[in-house]
Amino acid sequence: MMQNGDYLRAFETPRFARLAPNLNAACFSLMKLMPARFMVDRAEATGRLAPGGHIVETTSGTFGLAIAMLAAARGYDLTLVTASSLIDAKLTRRLQQLGAKVVAIADPKGDGNQPGRLEHLHQMLSQQADIYWPRQYDSPENRLAYARLADLIVRSFGRIDCLVGCVGTGGSLCGTGGFLRELFPELRIVAVDTHRSILFGQPVGRRMLRGLGNSVLPENVRHDMIDEVHWVGALPAYAKSHELFRTQGVFMGPTSGAAALVADWFARKNPDAATIAIMPDDGHRHADTVYNEDWLATLEDWPLGLPLEPTQIHQIRPAPETAWTRFSWNRRTLQAVLRDQ
Amino acid sequence: MSKVDTGQAKPVIRNSIPVTEGREHRPLSVGTGRASAHHGELLQGVFEDGEGRLHRGLITLPLSSQESTVTFWPREERGIRTRPENRTKAARAAELTLGHLGLSAKGGELTIESAILIGHGYGSSTADVTATIRAVAASAGTILCQSTVGRLAVAAEGASDAIAYQDQAILFAHREGRPIEHFGGEFPPLVVVGFRGADDQPVDTLAMRRARYDSEEIETFRTLRGLACHSVRLQDPKLLGRVATVSACISQRHLPKADFDTVLALSQWFGACGVQVAHSGTLIGILLDANAPKAISRAGEIAKTAMDAGFADVQVFSLNAEGALLQ
Repeated sequence: MMQNGDYLRAFETPRFARLAPNLNAACFSLMKLMPARFMVDRAEATGRLAPGGHIVETTSGTFGLAIAMLAAARGYDLTLVTASSLIDAKLTRRLQQLGAKVVAIADPKGDGNQPGRLEHLHQMLSQQADIYWPRQYDSPENRLAYARLADLIVRSFGRIDCLVGCVGTGGSLCGTGGFLRELFPELRIVAVDTHRSILFGQPVGRRMLRGLGNSVLPENVRHDMIDEVHWVGALPAYAKSHELFRTQGVFMGPTSGAAALVADWFARKNPDAATIAIMPDDGHRHADTVYNEDWLATLEDWPLGLPLEPTQIHQIRPAPETAWTRFSWNRRTLQAVLRDQ
Repeated sequence: MSKVDTGQAKPVIRNSIPVTEGREHRPLSVGTGRASAHHGELLQGVFEDGEGRLHRGLITLPLSSQESTVTFWPREERGIRTRPENRTKAARAAELTLGHLGLSAKGGELTIESAILIGHGYGSSTADVTATIRAVAASAGTILCQSTVGRLAVAAEGASDAIAYQDQAILFAHREGRPIEHFGGEFPPLVVVGFRGADDQPVDTLAMRRARYDSEEIETFRTLRGLACHSVRLQDPKLLGRVATVSACISQRHLPKADFDTVLALSQWFGACGVQVAHSGTLIGILLDANAPKAISRAGEIAKTAMDAGFADVQVFSLNAEGALLQ
């Protein structure tokens, strides 16, 4: 239900784009507003967040932006703990304009220093008892928030056979997928990750595609819900984003490009399957990079022809940023899959 | 959006304007009202309103082949008597309706004739109450909006179902007497095979402990509501069957029915759309697409199987489907 006049609630609502007769994409401007709003609402309702209270979170990405918008609109103090290697100057400026305090922890190894960030956060929690920490990585509320997306999807399209989405915290794919599978038990859930992300058993390394994958494993990733995993490199994701814009007028970020690449392939292979892709953010934050020909020209291997299908792999291993690989996960736990490797 | 209640006699029209208020002082006549039973719910749970607040709500499955007929015999003095005696909810409904019509000084006698079984989830009490409201309104030569009938019914009995809305698909806050969401049309065409477990005891609706849903269930209700909306808009009985089945499975955690798994298996075996239950009663129904080939004969087979399996009060009825009403 839409609440009149609630701008941020309207802003969290995706628009649907029909990309093929059996493929619709939920296109978000800022998807993380959906879990952020849900979590803040719940914290307010349960008294974990008092009026004028203080919110703290460790994030370097769009969840921070979302929670900063909410904190500004609802009058909360906000501290975001990030790592020096992950600082995005433009995003930081926006966060600060929203009144958030951004703390950058030293990160000599350049891996995001998640342990250091958590240590700082716990220190804050121990000093101030009534501080609210949403915990987007591990709080089940992150997944619960996506019942709203499942509602919007079934209201618009009814029966769904396949859901394709990116995984970072696992909230959007496992949340939406869980609610849709409750309605349609045969629903296939296809996870989109990127090379050198830890989420589905690859060794951690430097990732070129920001906002997709993870170097730590959040509890919201429910491996035993996933039917197949695709690892999409940065370059095919960029190429697909360009194609989306050029042929559909849909201007999305590169992680959305990765989801569209996989969903498009799945929908072609399964013409009778009603397929939904989740596309988490729009292209504006990437105007100077992914949508900038000068920046692209500095990349090795660019331009890249759009690959038509993934390389099926049986051994999980990293691949170059030009590659797109696929693995049949078959709703197993991470342990079970790694045991068979 | 309020619809005029059509469960009573035609409104009196004077000077081409329907008289919707009975405040003028003219004698009341004998009035009759009817209201149908229901067969439990297609969905019951907790739902968010436009302000983000949660309300208990339900989608009622109407059963129009059984009904309560109430006759109101007006008198000039206050006080309501009922036949049979001590139908306090109906008496209260009559008083509230008279009050709503500005006729608090009047009274009368209610004759309630109903074949609806009490306590199994057929909504016998709401049918009596709703028929009473309609009878009193008819007595005053007045028509009421469906929303007014629904609101008065809840005021009279504490919790009500959406029978005042007849075959309009609506998500109804049954403890507050108001719609949460109009799905904007009639139900998809359904044939229902209804029955109850032979050994299940009647349930006292108001004395029943209210289900306490967890957050996962509450969020599931959100998606069930969305799918119900789609199924009404596209007149898709299969999807409404999925809604009912998932809702029934959640109900099973709160008011378990001994034979539920058997019925679920039966529904799957016959390729039905799904299973619905009375969330505060003993009824179970198997839902079929009324427009599917051989829907009626399949319903007959299911009914026979259910009878052979020992279920009680087996009946076949339809909702928004053409053809003869089966019993």
